[in-house]
Formats: sequence, C-alpha cells, structure tokens
Amino acid sequence: MNTHIQNLLQFFIVDKKHTEYRQKPIDAYSLAQEFATQGKDYVERAEQRLLWMLSHEQPVVFKDEKIAILRTMPVIAEIHTEQEMAVLKQEYHIHELGKVCNVNPGYSLLLDVGFEQKTDEISKAILLHQTKGDEDGVLYLQSLQRVLDAIQQFADRYRAEAERVGNTVVAESFTQIPRRKPKTFLQALQFFRLLHFCLWESYNYHNTIGRFDQYMIPYFQHDMEMGLLTRTEALHLLEEFFIGFNKDSDLYPGMQQGDNGQSMVLGGLNEDGSDAFNDLSRLCMEASLELHLIDPKINLRVNSKTTDDVYALGTQMTKQGMGFPQYTNDEIAIPALIRWGYAEQDAYQYVVAACWELIIPRVAMDIVNVDGLSFLGCVVDALPSLPDCLHYDDFADLVRSILEHKVTEICAKTANVTMEYAPLLSLMMDGCISSARDISLGATYNNYGIHGTGLSSAADSLAAIKTLVFEQKRIDAKTLVCALEANWEDYEDLRALMRFDAPKMGNDDDRVDSIATQLLDWFADSLEGKKNDRGGIFRAGTGSAMYYLWHANGLGATPDGRDCGEAFSCNFSPSLFAKVRGPLSLISSFSKANLIRVANGGPLTIELHDTMFRNQESIEKVAAMVKTYMQMGGMQLQLNAVNREKMLDAQKHPEKYRNLIVRVWGWSGYFVELDKVYQDHIISRMEFSL
Amino acid sequence: MKGLVFDIKEWAVFDGPGVRTTVFLKGCPLRCAWCHNPEGISPKPQLLVSDASCIHCHACEQVCPHEANPVQCTACGACVAVCPLHLRNIAGTWYEAKDLASLLQKQARVLKANGGGVTFSGGEPLYQHMFLKEVIGYLDGVHIAIETSGHAQPKVFQDIISLCDYILMDLKVMDAQIHQQYCGQDNHLILKNLTFLKQSGKPFVIRIPVIPQVNDTLENFEKTAQVLEGAKTLQYVELLPYQKVAGAKYQMLGQHYRPGFDEERKPNVDPTAFERLGIPCRIL
Repeated sequence: MNTHIQNLLQFFIVDKKHTEYRQKPIDAYSLAQEFATQGKDYVERAEQRLLWMLSHEQPVVFKDEKIAILRTMPVIAEIHTEQEMAVLKQEYHIHELGKVCNVNPGYSLLLDVGFEQKTDEISKAILLHQTKGDEDGVLYLQSLQRVLDAIQQFADRYRAEAERVGNTVVAESFTQIPRRKPKTFLQALQFFRLLHFCLWESYNYHNTIGRFDQYMIPYFQHDMEMGLLTRTEALHLLEEFFIGFNKDSDLYPGMQQGDNGQSMVLGGLNEDGSDAFNDLSRLCMEASLELHLIDPKINLRVNSKTTDDVYALGTQMTKQGMGFPQYTNDEIAIPALIRWGYAEQDAYQYVVAACWELIIPRVAMDIVNVDGLSFLGCVVDALPSLPDCLHYDDFADLVRSILEHKVTEICAKTANVTMEYAPLLSLMMDGCISSARDISLGATYNNYGIHGTGLSSAADSLAAIKTLVFEQKRIDAKTLVCALEANWEDYEDLRALMRFDAPKMGNDDDRVDSIATQLLDWFADSLEGKKNDRGGIFRAGTGSAMYYLWHANGLGATPDGRDCGEAFSCNFSPSLFAKVRGPLSLISSFSKANLIRVANGGPLTIELHDTMFRNQESIEKVAAMVKTYMQMGGMQLQLNAVNREKMLDAQKHPEKYRNLIVRVWGWSGYFVELDKVYQDHIISRMEFSL
Repeated sequence: MKGLVFDIKEWAVFDGPGVRTTVFLKGCPLRCAWCHNPEGISPKPQLLVSDASCIHCHACEQVCPHEANPVQCTACGACVAVCPLHLRNIAGTWYEAKDLASLLQKQARVLKANGGGVTFSGGEPLYQHMFLKEVIGYLDGVHIAIETSGHAQPKVFQDIISLCDYILMDLKVMDAQIHQQYCGQDNHLILKNLTFLKQSGKPFVIRIPVIPQVNDTLENFEKTAQVLEGAKTLQYVELLPYQKVAGAKYQMLGQHYRPGFDEERKPNVDPTAFERLGIPCRIL
C-alpha cells in the first residue's frame, strides 16, 4: 500500500469526507407521483428514472484520484407510488423490493464493445423488429438506446468536471469510455465503476461482481505485456478500484449495513479441466488483504487443481477477521447445476449471488432466495402426534409429510412474480436485445431457490426422540410433549438431558448425521419435478439468510433442548449449544449428505479462535482444513477468525472497535453497525481454539 | 485397561508436525507454578464450575449427595446434568484403551493426509504409561508424538519414547534448586532422560515455557543450549513466552492461582544463546 492509497483510505473510509458532497435527500416517492399523474406506463418509468437520477447527479472528481464517480443523490427514486405498489402486491408476488436484484450482469457485454457499437447493434435489432411488426419491441429497444445515451452524457459531464479540476487521468478515461472499448486496464476499471454505479442508480441492488479475474484479465495482460503497468502499479490500481465499492455502500439497500451483494468470485474450473485461477485472481486477493475492507467480498472457487498456496493466501485473509473468502467446491457445484438442467458451458461459469447461492452470469434470472423452509418447524408441527406413534419411523413419516406439504405451500406462494423493468441490466444479459425483451420478464434460466433453516436443530430433535424416547425408552413421549408445551418449566432436568446429553450433529455421529441427510433428501425430493410460474424449477439449499432468526422467533421449545424462541444456527452449522468435539468431527458430519441435491447455497461456517492463525505454519494447517472439507465432498465453507472477548468488549466500547469486521450470514459487516440481536448471535456461535 | 482423559483436541496446529489430534491424559507429578492446565494435574476426575453467569437456581445443590460441600466432592456428576446453563463439567473421562484407539484410528486417514497424526499430552502423559502403551499398541500406521515434561522413571521414558515418532519435551530450567522450587521436583530425572533422548535417533523438539525472572536469564538459556549442543535429531528449540491467561481455570476448580513470580513482567525471549551454538530457535 502506498501513500496514495493510504490517503484515499483516510479520506473515503476513515473520515468519510466525500459524504459532504451528498445532496439533500429527495422524497423517495415524488418522482413516482409525477409519473402517476402523467399516466406513464411502467416500462417507460424504469428508463425515465435512470435518466432523471443521472441528470440530478453532480459530477465530483478529486484531484489525485485515478478512478472517479461518486454518488451524490442519497435516495433513489421509486417508480411506483405506495398506492400503486399496494395494488401490484394484490395481483402479483413481489419478491423483496420488487426490483431485479441478485443476478450477475455480463459487464463485458458493454465493456468489451463500447456504447457506439452497442447502439449500432440495437439499431440493427430495431430494423429486424420493425420488419416483424413488433411495435412494443421497437419501443423497448429505443428505450435501451436512450439509456446508453444518458449514461454517455453523464460520462461527458464527468470528463468536463475532470478537466475543470485538472485531473487529466480521469478526463482521458472518459474521453475513451464508455463510447469506445477501453484501451487500458485503468479505463476498463473506470468503465466498470460507471456501469456498476448506474446499476445502483437504476435501483437494481445486490449487483454482484462475478468472475472479475476472468473478464478483466485481457485488459490486465495487455497492460503488463505492453509494459504500461508493473505488478505493483496494477495492485495499487486495483486497491483504488476496490475502495470504490465502499464509497457509497452505506446508501445501498440491504437487511443490515454490509449486506450489499458486492461478491467477487475468483478462480474456478474450466470446461477443459484446467484451473482458471490467474495472476489477476492473486492480485485481487492481495489487494483485499492489504485494504482490510468489507467490499468487495471475495469468494474462491476451488477444486482438486487448487494449489495449497491459494488456500494459504485465503487463510491469511481469514486471519484478518473479514469473514471471507468463502469457498465453493466446483466439483459439487458444477455437477449440481448440470443435474438441475443448466447447460454444461453455463454451469462452468457459475458465480455466487449476494451471499452464497449459485447463479450463472448473463443468462440466469434466478430468484435464489425466494423463500425458506423451516426444518425445525416441520418437527414442531408433528410433535402433538408423537404420543400416538408406535415406532420412530411413524413419527419420521409424519415429519416428512408435513415437510412435503409446507414445500408445496411455499412453491404455490411464489406464483405470479413481477418486477420493475431493468433496461440497463438488460443490456448486460444475453438475448435481451435480440429478443427485445426485458430481463425482468425472465432469461434462459428462471429457477427459484429455497433456503432450509434449522437443519441441525431438526436433526438433533429427531435423533433425541429416536434414541431417548424410542430406543432407550428413557423418556415418555407424553411427558416430552408436556415439557415442550410448558417451555421446560418444571422440566429443567429433562431440558438439560436433551440439550446436553443427546446426540448432536457435528460430532461425526451417524445417529444424527443420517437423519440430517434424510431431511435434506426429503427437501430435495419434495421439489423434484415442481415447476415455477416462469417455467423454471425449484432448487433446495442449506442456507438460512436472515431466516435463522425469523423462523426461530416464536417457535416453541424443541426436543433438542432448545427453548421457545431461541435462535437457530446460521446456514449449515451445528446448533448453537451443541458441544462439538472439534473441527475434524465437524467437517466429517457436514460432508455426509447428498449435497449435490441441495446445492442452492449455504456454507458450513466454522469459527476459529484467532490464536490458531498465529504463524505461517499454523495458517497452512488451517488452510488444510478447507482443502480437506472439499476433498470430503463439502460444497461451501467459510471460516471466521474470532475472538469472543473482543466482541464482548466491542459491545461495551463500540468506539474502540470501529474496524472490527464479522461475518453475519452470507456477508461481512462492521460489528458495531449491526443490530444487537445479530451481534449476540455471532457471540453465541461456538469457537474452536488451539 | 482404562485411562483418564481430560480433553481431546482436534485439528491441533501447534502439537507436532502436520495436523494432529491431541489427547490430554490426566495426572502429573510436577507442580509447575505457571501451569495453565490445572485440571490435568490430579489423577482423578474433577468438577469444573464456571460460575460467572450462574443464576443461583440451586438445582446443583439439591441433587448433590454431599450437601454441596466442595471438600467432599467426588466428581460424581449429579450436578452437571441439572445445571440449566451447563456451567458444570467433569474434567476427566475414563476411556477403555481400545475405545480411545478406535476413535483415533477413525481420524487417522485425514491426519496422515495432512502430514500429521496423534499427539499425547497432559498433564504428564507418562503418568499413565501403561494405558498409553496399550493405546499406542492398537494404533496402526499413525504418526505418534508425545508432549512430555521428561519427568518419569528412565525405564518408562525409554519404553514409551521407543514407540513414538516425534517427541516434544520441556526443559523448564537447568538449575536443580530452582526447578525444585517452581516445579515441585528437581530435574535429575529430566536431564537423565534427555541424555537418552539425544541419542535415541528420534526427532525431537525442546520447549521452554519462558517465565519472567524464573528461567528467562541468559545463564539459563546458555546452560540449556550447552546441554543440547550437538544433538543430531534436535529439530529446534521453541520458546513459549508466559501468557497471563494461564490462571484462568484455577477458579473453576475452586483453587487459587498464586504463581509466585511477577506476572506483569515481560519475559525475556532472546534466542541468541541458542543461535550462537547453531541451534535453531523459534518463538511461539
């Protein structure tokens, strides 16, 4: 890190001086009101919003920066009034905020050609649709051209501002881009920043970065080969570029600060069996390691070709306590995607969405987090019938049928999805121009992903019933049901027995692990063959997202010794109070299931005390844990270096811990910026020490 | 036969080459003032209570067969089961040698693939040498390391060392009197066993817990270096600077931690005495 980067960090991250350039917030619904009064249709509105936002943005160029663009409009205008939205919600299924989000745009579709060429391409498509008599298509394509024009005008204003402040580097970039394709790595980075910024201005969110090391490598290589850049200079450029992801991120919508979907995916298996990890991948990791910022969030695609030094470099990053990289195993993910019907060449391109869900760049409009199934909820619903069951299998069958019923309900709820048009995003998705069809209406793949929460608690509950009620007959079913109804009041001994002495998932104990495998199989079975409203399929997953708190809230006491309302563990991990023997038993337990069938996404998370990362030798041994999990057949893993004392102290003295970064569910955030309920959950996760 | 184990740690990264599973055997003949595993000293199971978050529900007292008198505690475990916050634990689980071995054997493949194996630690693992010998005898194709104080009868020491692949031995202080004062025993057995170890042909590491003003003098380091000079299979000397958290577990045993030296002083971890004699030295 040189002084230039240090200065940028001080200015943007520590002092947040750039926020002084922010304009007064607009009323989020004022533009929508105008649109409604004018009777504008919904297609036009999406385009008009971007044009309006860009025209209201004030270009800000700092004298020494090499990559510009800053958000000055704190609020993005809505295009539907609240009343219109209420009507839409009655008629349609609105996912999250009703915008296209959480997909991976093909930035290179614009970056590699420039706007001039793209406008020509659209003009040709317009001719074609005119001959077909497709008036709507023609109107849509013309709207896409206006979007490109507006961005070009915005870029021109940036060029003028750069000239005004005497920043020739930025002025030169905007002379070339976005009109024409970038000549240098720097221009490519500036182009990306422009596109990414405009996506946020379009109210598209969770704009994932995807395989940056693959689509940017030609520009990087060009500069290196031509001698325009040294490796160190390239590193500094990348660092400045990475800082850009953190400038406006407090304005991005998300469940909590930090949940903004800026996931970057590095490495991965090529179709020919070679490994795509390259010089740029390594440089990205080094930049992230030096900067110690929560964005972009680094994800590594790993496979049997991944070298030990890459795992070790990843572990160095984990040591910093940023909560990433997150690892995804190509050897599970790719076959899983192919099994779900993705074409082979698409499956090999997979990236992760905002958290960990598998998505395909350019061709997929999957809604990967459409809803969540509560495994533990299924067990709770079956409990009243427990005393009537003669055998454990009777009870298990009942749980299964409840699970199937719930899955059917969840799927039905997702019918009739609608979203706002997304013209800019459509310019970066395959086929939208040739078909004159907006991405919000669907893409090649339109599959829905469903999370599965409380898996370990459900497996523990069933294992407790199976061993203690049916096999050992130590507990009477009626007594157990009464105890649960009373939330263990006057049954404290029973609670302690269930909570601490019954088998728990995470100890390489087949009595529980086999039940978890079964639950996941039931989940996958119940989705098999189901079609969604867009002709896609449903994908089962092991993720929880925020459902680990939502599903647990108000859910009664459970046979694993859990109290009413007590939180589930996050994603694919042992219950919060399970005593786990250690990391080896843990990874053995969590690699037994048929993960290929439940590969929507959701990592095993392991918290390791930060002293395990003390020296290079121990770091390599921790790295071996990641590799071993993948060899065992794990799909996703995410390690955290934690220190509970530090987090407890941070709750008391937040001012001393402004930079303490933690992993929340699929993303990292600053500990002191999280709501207390999330802080407490993180503190309660079990950590392994040396 | 049965042996008493107070912990099994998986994916241990500081207990020998590669990735290891470390078994902590209970019982130790020494009484080192700085011991950070006090629950490893007694050869019997013990009750550990962390009462910081105790809600005083008295459930433990109601089930105690000894009227909750800690002096009479036999670590029967009655109170462990009823504590709603699970603040009570028994340090010390009896294992049949065969069962412990099969648990470890199950992990052997992964440990071997990661250049590691099983490490026996303590307490003092040689304190239960018969049990240890039986466990090792059951293990097949597993790399065995031992972490020992070296305080054992030479016959026992030699017998077990011959079964191990890698030895991590402490050499706390060279002066017999200081050793007696701070460890409760003098060091003649340790030095005798060290003589054997140096000629055993087995790769070994010497560890020195560096305690402020007890053994962190240049004189002690020089004497240690001298006795190690020329040992062909010595891998390196490792200095373990004293950590103030050492006293954390005493209260859980109902004991007081009285280290008898100045905890606040920074220990001197100067490796030059070793490096001067060509002995590689690491600081953890």
